[in-house]
Amino acid sequence: MISALRLDVPTSSATEFVDITARLQDAISTAGLRDGQLHLQSLHTTLGLTVNENEPLLLGDLQAMLERVAPRAHAYEHDDLTRRTGVGPGEPRNGHAHCRHLFLLPACTLLVEAGRLVLGQWQSVFAVELDGPRKRQLALQMDGDFDANAGGVAHDRPDRELVELELARQLLVDPEPVREPMQRLVEAGGKRLRPLLTMLSSRLGTQDDPLRAAALAAAIELLHHATLVHDDYVDQAATRRGRPTVAAHEGAARAVAVGDYYFAKATRIIAQLGNPDVSSTIADAVETICLSQMDDVRLRGMYPGDYAAYLRVVRGKTAALFAAACKAGAQLGAASTGVVERLQRFGDLLGIAFQMTDDLLDYSVSSGKPLGQDIRQRTVSLPLIYATEDVRYGARVRELLAGPLEDRDIQEVQELVGATGALERVGEEARGVVAAALRELEEIALDGVGPQLADLANSTVDRVR
Amino acid sequence: MSVSELVDEVGANLAGLESVWDGSMSDAYAFFRHQARPEVALAATLVESAVALQDLGRTAPDPPRLLLGDLCLARASRLLADTHDTELQVAFAEAVERIAAQAAGGPAARDLRELLVAAILGRR
Repeated sequence: MISALRLDVPTSSATEFVDITARLQDAISTAGLRDGQLHLQSLHTTLGLTVNENEPLLLGDLQAMLERVAPRAHAYEHDDLTRRTGVGPGEPRNGHAHCRHLFLLPACTLLVEAGRLVLGQWQSVFAVELDGPRKRQLALQMDGDFDANAGGVAHDRPDRELVELELARQLLVDPEPVREPMQRLVEAGGKRLRPLLTMLSSRLGTQDDPLRAAALAAAIELLHHATLVHDDYVDQAATRRGRPTVAAHEGAARAVAVGDYYFAKATRIIAQLGNPDVSSTIADAVETICLSQMDDVRLRGMYPGDYAAYLRVVRGKTAALFAAACKAGAQLGAASTGVVERLQRFGDLLGIAFQMTDDLLDYSVSSGKPLGQDIRQRTVSLPLIYATEDVRYGARVRELLAGPLEDRDIQEVQELVGATGALERVGEEARGVVAAALRELEEIALDGVGPQLADLANSTVDRVR
Repeated sequence: MSVSELVDEVGANLAGLESVWDGSMSDAYAFFRHQARPEVALAATLVESAVALQDLGRTAPDPPRLLLGDLCLARASRLLADTHDTELQVAFAEAVERIAAQAAGGPAARDLRELLVAAILGRR
């Protein structure tokens, strides 16, 4: 069996290393490829591929090397448009980019085992833009053994497509200075867990209306992205999903405005649905998120904190929107009070499991996140809390966390956390929370959406980003 | 109405935002209170405060001010949701959209207070 698809890779700079590892892993998971090969091929002569380490300073070195090999300012025959034939309007002068492409791959094959890309600890897969910014595409083909029930993800395809269409439709009408950075963020991927939860929850009542549900789902996703734009500024994060953050790329002042714009837009879309319960649910959730974000920043002074503080922040910062996505979807579909309450608890637990798994990604090289970012930013994180409790290594971890956290300290903390078994403990706990979430659904007539809800629930802990 | 009476009127809805309630907020609240009921007047005041705290369209605020501004917007949104007045919620959201788009380098917008008054009076 062969599965083929195209991967959109919008780029934002003249030369850019776009880490696509997590997106490739998503494609593999979605297709259900267990063991086989992933073939990928650039569809452009100035977009190459490579496998290397995602370390910001190294990426700077690689860019500098490409500039030395084929300097942009050098004169290239290819750029002499007076001598070329078949030149159309807007033909770019990009001889340097074609020359640089000689040093990269036009296509490559990666191995897949047990549903996972086979990559070494420091390996990430990059699409390398040489003449951006542009909208790029990669061709993907997978062959090998696929899960028999790979359709488990595929059967949410109509919902997923509806959400993507609605997101695209909403972004289309926005002023370019806010639309462009948000579009880049939205197109960088993501599992769309919150909007899919909304879509499915909306079917559990008596008023199933997919278009209204998609409007709500897209608004919740925009709201989520608006909070990410502000979070990235607060956390001084340079990248998200392997791409520059809005604050890093467009500047902090614009990031603030972009976040505010999409916060307001999302609340407007939700208000226009004309369902007061839905509006109140989302408004309450947003308020909770804001209060928890402030709580989180305060807690960084008491780093790494304790379990109770962790749970309080996670419930507010992450789980509140998961819970609201489920609850509001059910309210929109006019589900009974009992169903609404159970779905809210289901979403709350999923949000907690999601965040626990997200904490683990700080230790995963294939996550697309810079390694050790949570440690560097002193973000409250469960593996660290557990590691500080360890009899053998806890004291040393606490000592390191109390210090300046230079690169070598962060690496040592990561190694010690691994040695304590904290990562396995958090992974196990996250799976337990998902099991508890699924138990919330046992008393509900799921009207055919049970398998999809279970798939989404399990995907919160079975992910690489 | 005195400042203390104004604070009493909005008290419970200012939880977590006490630190941002200053003289200019009192003045703003008194202004909007002439035209709207307490919850709506407070929502309008909080939107103005958010824009001021975040220095929207100028320099980026420090993170604590950004977060306080976010909380102001969120509280305003919740107050408006509690009114169950869809038109009002939409008008307020559009006012923020216009101001934020302008701040990002988009189309010019009217003065924020003008937009908020128009939203309150249903004259978008």
